[in-house]
Amino acid sequence: MSSRVCRTCGGSDIDVDQARGSAVCTSCGSVLEDNIIVSEVQFVEGSGGVSSAVGQFVSADGPVKAPLLGSGFHTSVGKESRAQTLQNGKRQIQQLGSQLQLNQHCLDTAFNFFKLVVSKHLTRGRKTEHVIAACLYLVCRTEGTPHMLLDLSDLLQVNVYILGKTFLLLARELCINAPAIDPCLYIPRFAHMLEFGAKTHEVSMTALRLVQRMKRDWMHTGRRPSGLCGAALLVAARMHKFRRSVKDVIGVVKVCQTTLRKRLTEFEDTPTSQLTIDEFMRVDLEQECDPPSFTAAQHKAKMQQLEQELAKKLDEVEGEISCYKDEIETELEKSRPKLRGIYAAYTKEVDPEDNGEVLSMPSEPEEVESEDVELQAATHHLTEDFLCQVIQEEEGHGMKGDREAEPEKESMGPHRQAASLTSILGQLPSAASLSLQQTFQTLDTSGGDEKDLGDHPQSEELDLEGIDDQEIDKYILNEKEVQVKTELWMKQNAEYLKEQKEKQERINKEKEEGTYKEKKKKKSKKQDQIEALTAGEAIERMLEKKKISSKINYDVLRDLNRGTGSPTRSPDHTPDTTVARKRLNRRRRRKTSDSNQDLAANTSIMGKRFRHLISSTPKKKTAHQVERTVSVVTETETPAETESNPPPDSAAETSPTLPTAPSPMEEEEEEEEEAEEECVSALQLVGDYGCDADEEEIF
Amino acid sequence: MDSSNDEALDIIITNVVATFRTRCHLNLRTIALEGTNVIYKPEVGKVLMKLRKPMITASIWSSGKIICTGATSEDEAKLGARRLARCLQKLGFKVRFSAFKVVNVLAVCSMPFAVNLINFTKNNRPIASYEPELHPAATYRIKNLKATIQVFSTGSLTVTGISLLTRLNTHRHIKYLTPFYVQLRRHIGLRD
Repeated sequence: MSSRVCRTCGGSDIDVDQARGSAVCTSCGSVLEDNIIVSEVQFVEGSGGVSSAVGQFVSADGPVKAPLLGSGFHTSVGKESRAQTLQNGKRQIQQLGSQLQLNQHCLDTAFNFFKLVVSKHLTRGRKTEHVIAACLYLVCRTEGTPHMLLDLSDLLQVNVYILGKTFLLLARELCINAPAIDPCLYIPRFAHMLEFGAKTHEVSMTALRLVQRMKRDWMHTGRRPSGLCGAALLVAARMHKFRRSVKDVIGVVKVCQTTLRKRLTEFEDTPTSQLTIDEFMRVDLEQECDPPSFTAAQHKAKMQQLEQELAKKLDEVEGEISCYKDEIETELEKSRPKLRGIYAAYTKEVDPEDNGEVLSMPSEPEEVESEDVELQAATHHLTEDFLCQVIQEEEGHGMKGDREAEPEKESMGPHRQAASLTSILGQLPSAASLSLQQTFQTLDTSGGDEKDLGDHPQSEELDLEGIDDQEIDKYILNEKEVQVKTELWMKQNAEYLKEQKEKQERINKEKEEGTYKEKKKKKSKKQDQIEALTAGEAIERMLEKKKISSKINYDVLRDLNRGTGSPTRSPDHTPDTTVARKRLNRRRRRKTSDSNQDLAANTSIMGKRFRHLISSTPKKKTAHQVERTVSVVTETETPAETESNPPPDSAAETSPTLPTAPSPMEEEEEEEEEAEEECVSALQLVGDYGCDADEEEIF
Repeated sequence: MDSSNDEALDIIITNVVATFRTRCHLNLRTIALEGTNVIYKPEVGKVLMKLRKPMITASIWSSGKIICTGATSEDEAKLGARRLARCLQKLGFKVRFSAFKVVNVLAVCSMPFAVNLINFTKNNRPIASYEPELHPAATYRIKNLKATIQVFSTGSLTVTGISLLTRLNTHRHIKYLTPFYVQLRRHIGLRD
């Protein structure tokens, strides 16, 4: 029916005959089209008088080749990997989707998502199952179906969080903004499962109201929607006089008992819970509540504050009490009869010892508090410093002799306190420690590396500054302890050790038998070198190995190969070599398309001459010569014409004495060239026969 | 962890994760048997060693790579790592301390108001994501600062990322987000 113009006469009156399938111009009679393709449906009568349409269903994204009839082929031979992946994915989506009772539209959308995912290479490194589940869940979310991620994970027996991770990633990559889950969506589904009979609708409506109330009371942020639904349904059921226990609800909603209870108590705390059933159905309270966790946190904060205040007050009271105590004591002392003579001496002796124990400025309150040093250490900075110096001294084995602290070493107090202090305060650097560490470092450096002490950050030498060796020793057990621990450990891990032993025995046995197959750990897929005598063989092998694409006609490639790849095999095969020559030249022409045409012509002529020479020379060397010609040609492309003359001659001279360059390299080069050649000549085979003529002309 | 001051926001670093290498092969069984406070996991192939003074847990692998977690500051992490190396040295391995690197920092902060997560996520669609079924907080990823912020409905935030190392950066994170929160605050302060 195309109103075209006739080619010969220009007339537009064209008669299209459907029966013959031809288009004829009525003015001049020339046939414009023969065998027109018609898009009609034909019917065939089958057995029993049933007429059926002729034709096959072909899917739009099916395989490139026509599907074979009859045998119900499932293993697709020669299909592309991508098509296979998609097909596989589609199948799995259908399977999983039907289990979830999703309609076809959803499944199609899911498949589209899957196609997007595959095209973005997000399936790499992930199980197809997970990816498909994520796609389906995406659809569920965008469509608003009452399916939870939990359902999917139940079906697949996979951890929810793993699926969730995949889902989040896909949603982000595909830039799909899934709307937030509304617990109201789940209510009808759960209500149905709880079997309320005729009253299901009413119960669901009540539950919906409850959920909305909960939402306004900020109970739903950060919580699983299913938990809220469960609580709402439970209350709604009770309101309508259905007896549903917590266990029933849990079974349907899939939350824990504790969660449900908690939600109920939270709801109880809201003012809405105080209303009666009728009031609730009619009235909506204006007031909104805070989220329960917020109130809890505030409550906690308040309690903490109170505690702090209390503690402060206690301290104050204590302080006052101690003040009073001191005053009373002083008063008492004053009122006591004073000791004279020997006794006075005794009283005086006591004081320096007391002071010694305090180890700090002898102020009374501080003395009291130094006993609970652990609590107040941070505030008594002087005490810390002093004590730490004492500790350092102990380590340094009395490096500093002129310390007042020496006599105090005898008392056990500082020892104990030292231990506790070090555990709390950490090592404060002091001259003693630094010097100590320096000696350590010098020892180490003299032993091992020659690294400078100077370059701290760069050196791998362990900087021992601030590390207490004694403490570290505590981390290491002594011999006896090691024995005990070894025993314990052996007992505990007996199974594991047994397994290891068995494995080892098995391996040894297999080794002896000679059937030992070492389990190779994830070898990177390196393509091993294709070894072949000639380029042609190499190409064939490569082709065999990997079918690159179904869109290439391999037969043509092989033919090409046969033509060019074997000047070595059959030097007498002059047509082949001429063909080869031509092909080489063609390649050269392509290569030299940028450079001077004349130069190229000359070189090609030279090359041809050279070829003649080649055909007479021995088989082995021809491969090399081919390579030589290439190098010659590439060289001669750039320099002047005159220079091109000597190189081929010299090359010809040196041809018998050509060194054997590494063959695989040459072959690879050849291979490359030939591959190039093939690409080129494939083009030519398809269309461009004009080149031949050009070649002849230059000749 | 209280932010009683309404003007300034207290950002407290609660966890610093660092890795380093000892440049020598370690025999895990020896460490397991001769060290205190160690847990040996032969299935995974590592030893967990816990230190007390900087409260640190270290995962030690036989290749000599060690991961230190639980420190409350970068310096503490380094100190803990060095102690650990010293301990291993004493056990008899030729330990060298190299390639110390802080890998991740976690900080906690609290807003004085509650946040409506659903609206928050709606307004910041591709950057923020909220999945109540999976996690109670909304995650907000800042790309240029390379940090992740988790927002809870109570108003507390956790910030995770390497860029938190400098104090300045942590404040930058919070400043970045405050305008978003201001949109959505509920005035809790009035109640008290």
